Amino acid sequence: MAFNILVVDDSPAMRRVVKRVIEICGVDTGKLLEAGDGLQALKVLRSEWVDLVMTDINMPEMDGEQLVMEIREDSMLESIPVLVISTDQSEGRMKQMLALGANGYISKPFQPATLSGELYRLLGGAPNESF
Amino acid sequence: MKASDVAVLIPAACKEVLNAMYFTDVLAETPQEDTHEGVPSIVQSYAFALKFSGDVSGRFGLCLEHGTARRLAANFLGEDETDIAEGDVIEVVGELTNMFCGSAVSQIESGTKFVLSHPQPVQQLPAASSEDLIFVGMETDSGPITTWVVVDKAGAHREN
Repeated sequence: MAFNILVVDDSPAMRRVVKRVIEICGVDTGKLLEAGDGLQALKVLRSEWVDLVMTDINMPEMDGEQLVMEIREDSMLESIPVLVISTDQSEGRMKQMLALGANGYISKPFQPATLSGELYRLLGGAPNESF
Repeated sequence: MKASDVAVLIPAACKEVLNAMYFTDVLAETPQEDTHEGVPSIVQSYAFALKFSGDVSGRFGLCLEHGTARRLAANFLGEDETDIAEGDVIEVVGELTNMFCGSAVSQIESGTKFVLSHPQPVQQLPAASSEDLIFVGMETDSGPITTWVVVDKAGAHREN
């Protein structure tokens, strides 16, 4: 089964890195979609089938907090797993995002193996041992 | 909290970021300074800065020579140095600024949230005047990197 994954981050460079890790870790991906902020992400989510959202928090227009809330409040989107990837390493932020409905939280910087592990946890399956 | 209190967190934070995502080692650190006399000319460098706010507020920036930036970008993106567009190098430097600051500020108080502004290119380094400013430099196996931190005076952020 091929998974469609949406990567949301206002840094194009970070989106490229995350997409590269996804490709290397061996997850069977269908479409690797991108968005630069929460508003763009919602447009993608309402027009494409997405199996997992990976999102930053600090973004213009609509931040990651608002995006998670919007996803959880939308009956068509509420079941999509959300993984947060953020520079904020504070426990307070992590707890807040999980309370809002995120399914996982990784802080930057991250080891590729950490991201790979979370991908497999949320999508199902065993991590590739490439890392 | 003073800039020197934040500055002591920077080397370990930068090392963590560089090792994990830029596959780069820190070889040496330079002592904290409140002037930029030892910083490479910004003319041949990329420099970015952002604002952070939370329990402590201020600004964070970094400056690195073009060659260093290109090597780091190649490591970050997993591509050959010669294949990377300058625009991509600049984006990577911005992201590096973001991660350095986020990693350092996260250590100030683990239970407190903070907000970072989007990194922006800057044309000049901050000057030590009435601001609480510290420069922290390091030598890496990709080249030298200089960071700086300014901590707002107590109450200053409430006036903004």
